[in-house]
Amino acid sequence: MSAPFDRLLIANRGEIAVRIIRACAELGIESIAVYSDADAGALHVQMADRAERIGPAAAAESYLSVEAILAAARRSGAEAIHPGYGFLSENAGFAEAVEAAGIVFVGPPPATLAALGDKLAARRTVAAADVPIVPGLLVPLGDPTTVGLAEVGFPAMLKAAAGGGGRGMRRVDRPEEVPAALAAAAREARSAFGDATVYAERLISPARHVEVQLLGDRHGNLVCLGERDCSVQRRHQKLVEESPAPAMGLALRAAMFESARRVAETVDFSNAATVEFLLDDSGHHYFLEMNTRLQVEHGVTELVTGLDLVALQIRIAAGERLPDGVLRVEPRGHAIEVRLYAEDPYDDFRPVAGTVGAWQLPGGPGVRVDAGVTADTPLPPEYDPLLAKLLVHGGDRPAALARLRRALDETLIGGVQTDLGFHRWLVDEAGFAAGEYDTSLVPDRWRSGPDLGPAETALAAAAGAAARAASGTAARQPAVRYDSAWGRLARREAIDR
Amino acid sequence: MSVTEIRVEGHLSQIDDGWSFAWLDQARGTARLSRDGRSQIVLVEGSGTDWTVTLGGRRIAVTVRTWRERVLAEAEVAAVAPGGPLEITATLPGLIVGVEVTLGSEVRQGDPLLSVEAMKMQNEVRAPRDGRVTTIAVQAGETVARGALLLRLD
Repeated sequence: MSAPFDRLLIANRGEIAVRIIRACAELGIESIAVYSDADAGALHVQMADRAERIGPAAAAESYLSVEAILAAARRSGAEAIHPGYGFLSENAGFAEAVEAAGIVFVGPPPATLAALGDKLAARRTVAAADVPIVPGLLVPLGDPTTVGLAEVGFPAMLKAAAGGGGRGMRRVDRPEEVPAALAAAAREARSAFGDATVYAERLISPARHVEVQLLGDRHGNLVCLGERDCSVQRRHQKLVEESPAPAMGLALRAAMFESARRVAETVDFSNAATVEFLLDDSGHHYFLEMNTRLQVEHGVTELVTGLDLVALQIRIAAGERLPDGVLRVEPRGHAIEVRLYAEDPYDDFRPVAGTVGAWQLPGGPGVRVDAGVTADTPLPPEYDPLLAKLLVHGGDRPAALARLRRALDETLIGGVQTDLGFHRWLVDEAGFAAGEYDTSLVPDRWRSGPDLGPAETALAAAAGAAARAASGTAARQPAVRYDSAWGRLARREAIDR
Repeated sequence: MSVTEIRVEGHLSQIDDGWSFAWLDQARGTARLSRDGRSQIVLVEGSGTDWTVTLGGRRIAVTVRTWRERVLAEAEVAAVAPGGPLEITATLPGLIVGVEVTLGSEVRQGDPLLSVEAMKMQNEVRAPRDGRVTTIAVQAGETVARGALLLRLD
């Protein structure tokens, strides 16, 4: 099959840029990376066939600059632009500008991005198509706020109409909390999205966060590629995703797929998108939003379906039909993804800056790593602290969990605190291991993690003391024997220095 | 070098010599730590007294001090009061080898004040902060007990 395009520009950075570069390489497409000054040495720049500088470190002047990216596309002769996720990926104005420049936008049509980008408008449209939505308002929350909220009931969730990524969201438990929460949500929404419109939904609790992956071509074919459970979240942002969703009955799955199809049919849909739902504890599902782009967690679906979603996105954008093999694909086995962030899970998942030191990621059967960094990579504070995604695939959920445990134990990341320890805890957490968990897992069961135990303390003390004793000796002494005599010799040498 | 104090996240920890240790990649801090025939890979980053040990993805601060470093560090902590008169005392018994300042001299933080020989090692006592020397309580050749007043800064 011939390449769908000769040259494709990737308007993103980090692991997703690397992911798209890999798809291009396999399709025989020349890949063009873009980079800000903070990313001149980044992995995606090293891996792409060509790279174009688009501006200073600040995202607003580089990865979020429509002009800078279009200029780079023109300079490099790109025929298509893949936006990845985040940044400009759901920006209808960007998609329009790309198409106006005679370049193909790899994603749904601009009008579809616009229709679904307004979460409040999407709620109205979707409700009209008989898809259950989270109970709540269909109009912005204004003055007097208490009237609208009385209908919604408490506790309620205030949400930005232009929202996404957990920003512009506030939980309110009592009427007197509303004014402050509304002001905060509106302020956050204005600064994140340039639109302060806020609406309210009833808080579904406990809730699972389950989403359906859709893929559609420009010839009327639409396929549901299974679901992903994304309930392990902190700050309303995902940390772990798996497919299939645990304890998902056939009837519920069929109902959710039907809802997802109906959502897609309310718009002119093609390419890749995800319909997100909340599931309550009595098995009802409620539409949350439709993301008109590739998701961070698309790899989970790739592992269970064996498909390359990025390659399919590019082929769809080139006008190709989805092959029968894709339309009839049956997911197999179980896949789990954990996101490796430069964040401190022992301190409220606070993002950390620094430079990656050691970087030993796992391999072996059923393990996939999508990384945006490597050893000694500095982490620019301007961007998302996602380092890599670690994905595993097994015949069933217990097999996938065993593989994940093994893969996490093989992983060594130095230089910065990561959330690796959280994931390792999660694998053996009773509720998660049983598949019985919801969005309260991180705040209720992890909090700031377990205290340092006596065994870990003793090991840390031993490692620190031994490292000091052995520092300065390894260059002369090849580390070929690991017996204690060698250790004693190393210590003696250090003392004698 | 003989380690006498190990602190893990600031808390005193036992010293246990039963482990053997070998660097795998010292530049990046990977090493193998073994005991009784069982071993595991650990990540140990740092130098001198300050190390970070990563276990199961958790970064743990470990300070490893010799007796001398401990005493000096304690002296520094004890001495760094933000202002006002400051008494500098001997944190270990020893012999005053030299006095580097004179009464009334202005010193900057880190300037050497005295040399003390203890445990067959010569240690410099440095100014914990800027100040003026208002008292010199000892002279070269004098033996001092632990806790003895050495000098005062204002």
